[in-house]
Amino acid sequence: MISELLQIPAPGPAVYNEPSPDGVSPRPHWAPFFDTLGEVGPEEFVRRWNRAERRIRENGITYNIYSDPLGAARPWKIDAIPLLIPQEEWSYIEAGIIQRAELLNLLLKDLYGPRTVLSGGLLPAALLFGNPAYLRPLAGVRVPDASYLHLLAVDLARSPDGQWWVVADRTQAPSGAGYALENRTIVSDVLPDLFRTCNVRRLASFFRAQREALLRLSGVDNPRAVLLTPGPYNETYFEHSYLSRYLGLTLVEGADLTVRDRRVFLKTVEGLQPVDVILRRVDDWFCDPLELRGDSVLGVAGLVDAICSGNVKVANALGSGAIETAAIMPFLPALSKDLLGEPLKLPCVATWWCGQDYALKSVLDHLDRLVVKPAFPLRGMEPRFGADLALSEKQLLAEQLKAHPGQFVAQEQVALSTVPVWEHDGVSSRSLVLRAYVLNTGESWVAMPGGLVRVAGPDSPLVSMQQGGHSKDAWVLSDAPVDTFSMLRPRHQPVEVRRVGADVPSRVADNLFWLGRYAERAECMTRLLRCSINHVRSANEAELECLMRLHACFDSRYSTLPKGTPATSLHLENELISLMTNSKRPDSLMSVLSDIHETGNRVRERLSNDMIRLLGQLAESVKVEEYMLFVEHSALLTGCLELLAAFSGLERENVTRGTGWLFLSLGRRLERAIYASRQLSGLSGSLDRENWPLLNYLLEVSDSSMTYRSRYFTTLQTVPVLDVLMADETNPRSLDFQLSHLADLYEKLPRHAEGDLRAIRHAVSLIRSFDLEALNVPSPGSGSEHSGNSEERERLGRSLQELTRLLASWSDNLAAHYFDHARTVAISIGG
Amino acid sequence: MIYRIVHKTTYRYKAPVSIGNHTVYLTPRSLPKHRCLSHRLVITPSPATLSERTDCFGNREKFFSIQAPHTELIIEARSKVSVGESKLWPAQSPAWEDVAASMPFDLTAEGLEAYEFVFESPRIRPGKEFAAYAAESFTRRRPLAEALLDLTSRIHSDFRFDSKATTVRTAPEEVFRKRRGVCQDFAQFQIACLRSLNLPARYVSGYLRTFPPPGRPRLVGADASHAWVSAYCPGTGWLDVDATNNIVPSDGHVCLAWGRDYGDVSPVRGMILGGRDHTLEVGVDMEPLEGE
Repeated sequence: MISELLQIPAPGPAVYNEPSPDGVSPRPHWAPFFDTLGEVGPEEFVRRWNRAERRIRENGITYNIYSDPLGAARPWKIDAIPLLIPQEEWSYIEAGIIQRAELLNLLLKDLYGPRTVLSGGLLPAALLFGNPAYLRPLAGVRVPDASYLHLLAVDLARSPDGQWWVVADRTQAPSGAGYALENRTIVSDVLPDLFRTCNVRRLASFFRAQREALLRLSGVDNPRAVLLTPGPYNETYFEHSYLSRYLGLTLVEGADLTVRDRRVFLKTVEGLQPVDVILRRVDDWFCDPLELRGDSVLGVAGLVDAICSGNVKVANALGSGAIETAAIMPFLPALSKDLLGEPLKLPCVATWWCGQDYALKSVLDHLDRLVVKPAFPLRGMEPRFGADLALSEKQLLAEQLKAHPGQFVAQEQVALSTVPVWEHDGVSSRSLVLRAYVLNTGESWVAMPGGLVRVAGPDSPLVSMQQGGHSKDAWVLSDAPVDTFSMLRPRHQPVEVRRVGADVPSRVADNLFWLGRYAERAECMTRLLRCSINHVRSANEAELECLMRLHACFDSRYSTLPKGTPATSLHLENELISLMTNSKRPDSLMSVLSDIHETGNRVRERLSNDMIRLLGQLAESVKVEEYMLFVEHSALLTGCLELLAAFSGLERENVTRGTGWLFLSLGRRLERAIYASRQLSGLSGSLDRENWPLLNYLLEVSDSSMTYRSRYFTTLQTVPVLDVLMADETNPRSLDFQLSHLADLYEKLPRHAEGDLRAIRHAVSLIRSFDLEALNVPSPGSGSEHSGNSEERERLGRSLQELTRLLASWSDNLAAHYFDHARTVAISIGG
Repeated sequence: MIYRIVHKTTYRYKAPVSIGNHTVYLTPRSLPKHRCLSHRLVITPSPATLSERTDCFGNREKFFSIQAPHTELIIEARSKVSVGESKLWPAQSPAWEDVAASMPFDLTAEGLEAYEFVFESPRIRPGKEFAAYAAESFTRRRPLAEALLDLTSRIHSDFRFDSKATTVRTAPEEVFRKRRGVCQDFAQFQIACLRSLNLPARYVSGYLRTFPPPGRPRLVGADASHAWVSAYCPGTGWLDVDATNNIVPSDGHVCLAWGRDYGDVSPVRGMILGGRDHTLEVGVDMEPLEGE
């Protein structure tokens, strides 16, 4: 195995092979790594890696690939072999990227301020004036301590001679630091022995410094800091939720924030809470639909004004995307001398901005060796590799360059260094780019000791996560003892442990409420389906009729049962399978399970890792194989039920009783109350008939058969069953239990509505007002029935139907009261 | 000439708006021979916050926020402006090609300020079709000022004023195709022409004095917002032209703000929560006070 890892890639241009210069013996700093890996042995390694891959899937570590027809989230691709960087080499990189961060920060300060670099001829003015990422509304706006950059990411490549070169900067909302952290957690877990042997520098203190830097940036005591995400459809949403949890910031979307009195506020279920610092992962232009981009739904109207008034700090400062272009690279050496008074330490890969005549000429002469990119990434264009273009394509590109020279940059194509990538089907050698990070602490700059290594796909010269590349951990090997500070809390820790900063944004409450509803809906459906599937094959006519009544509990709008003609048991069988497995039906169990997964994913930073893992398993739990026997579906449902039970167990036992939990539980109680009232409606409609099969099914569905038998030692009778399923306040599946808990939970909500509380309390007393004895149907031939009995039965039927309606409108009221202000989308007028 | 100008904008919403954030460019600029004597902004309902900033082009931008539910918003800007006759049109000016070629290298404050207006902006993309239209006026080595007047008069005669043909969002390409539009469209089209030749041109938003038909009284509120173009001529400065009326603006034009295109200086814009549909009514009244 190790000899494979050392190998040099197949013949091609000479490259720097990271682990070994000759493909046989390792470089000195890799030797201890390979020695220890040899001790672990290939079998043990594979065993550990399988475990890690399962963890990646179940933890839902994903990266959304845009335009992926298979759906958004793909598991994060990482492999176990890290990139090793010796301390001495790291010190060189570190000094270089820190200097670069200082320089770029000063450059932003100048461009949004006096613009001396333009009048001094150090940077062509076209790179600012023609740059769509230059945010004019922010020009001249004071940024505290001139900290334009809070975090900078620098992409580095190593050429065949071993030299590191900067190929790109990420200046506005650098991504990947969270993935680097997650990669580290996984790899150090798989290879703990190697991690210790190699004396790897830790990442935790970097993130602690980041948290402190953000809080300091606010300039106030006890600041509230949030992480602004574009939402679950963004490519790096996983990272946003992961980082928000790790850094202890509330994860918010644009609609969660509002500007009042020139201040930014977070809409929480407890009301508006002021926000002092925004760590943003939303791109510049999208941050304020009023003053930046009118069609943006990701931002906050009035944010620019709040920034101007100094009431909120944004990291990185709005407008910092203006220098996120390779076009500035040719000018950095001179800018460094001018702004910093020292030469640039870390070189950029040779770059030409075609807006200058001599540069354009040189680019046109050497197109074969260059990669052409847009000067302003907002204008969009895939990089074009001159070497790969046919003659006609090259001529076309040359024409474009001549027509709009200022729109293009060209860079020398670096023959990237290679690292081994281990996969189940073997080892391959791939090109790599190292993304390194620098943080502005407010007093100094610090580099993350490590970074995110991205490797190219097997046949691609491009290193891009969007195009299906891999990632790796980067280990900086210390020659001194390492700081072992850890910010990670234990993995099985319940959510909402933080007592400060535990704001529940209204959108989050909304999602938690629906997570509760969907989880309970799945459970009710699973129980109904399993019971029906177990009995439908052997059902006689009376039983089939009862099963049809049970089916009515699904309240399905998409039923496949024939209308008008009576359904046969075969019809019902097909309908049950469709209800269970047809993912195209919005009311199928499959759909509800994917709703759970999706809703849970939107609030993943609020759920424990165990809960997230269960969500992942649930989504897979009713995948039906071809040619499965009918009865086998039942076993599948039992498995699903176990997972759902585990989820509700974690919810009950492992989630602290914060406001978030209240919404989760309210959703669950409400949904169960709805199903209970539907089931009882079915029963109340057949009180005067022979209905013991239905009684039997309902007890089975409600998991209450044992309760019944232990109490009544008798054949099934309607009234005692009604007592168990409706009136018994000690049975956690009874209607009474749902309603009284619903009322108790609702009363605990901050600023609850008295009217809505009364409505539920009233429903409880209504349920309790029924004299169950009076519902009794006399046995045949015993003479006339008391006329009050049939009236009471009718009243029960009516009341249950009313209750179903009440619960639906009650849910709407709750949404209007707590969630709606977070659901409204601002619209743009005028302009 | 002194004018009193009342510019009233009224939004009526079908449903209550719970929160509205707005920015307005309604404060006249103060320039040589063009002084803003007084300015007042009256907003109903009265805003919770109102702040003023000077934007990167030197315009005065006001931001306000209304935080109580409302179904009607009235923004009334009252200004008094004194305008002198503009400087004489230059008898001589450099060849337009020389101006275009020198812009990237003029690092003086004035030159840099002008250079910014050579580039593509959100609503104006230079292109070959515009360059071709402009070429008829911008013949070889023709002095810039002369060519500019020629272009202005050609647009005036080739395009028809038609307030139904376009909206505030119509792109110059479409205006060119239709050969119809309003002052905003003609200004943006002319800018597209100039920038396609690498000449700096900016969009000016303001008001124009109108004259009632002979013998009729002046109608209050019959005036409107206006827009024209300013092009940069090294040595002379900015030259204003109004293609809508085929004139060189003088003491009948009042300037509010300038920018790269309409989007930089739209008089009123906002983001509202709620409201559903809305109607908009704009009335401008420009009354000469003295100096006739």
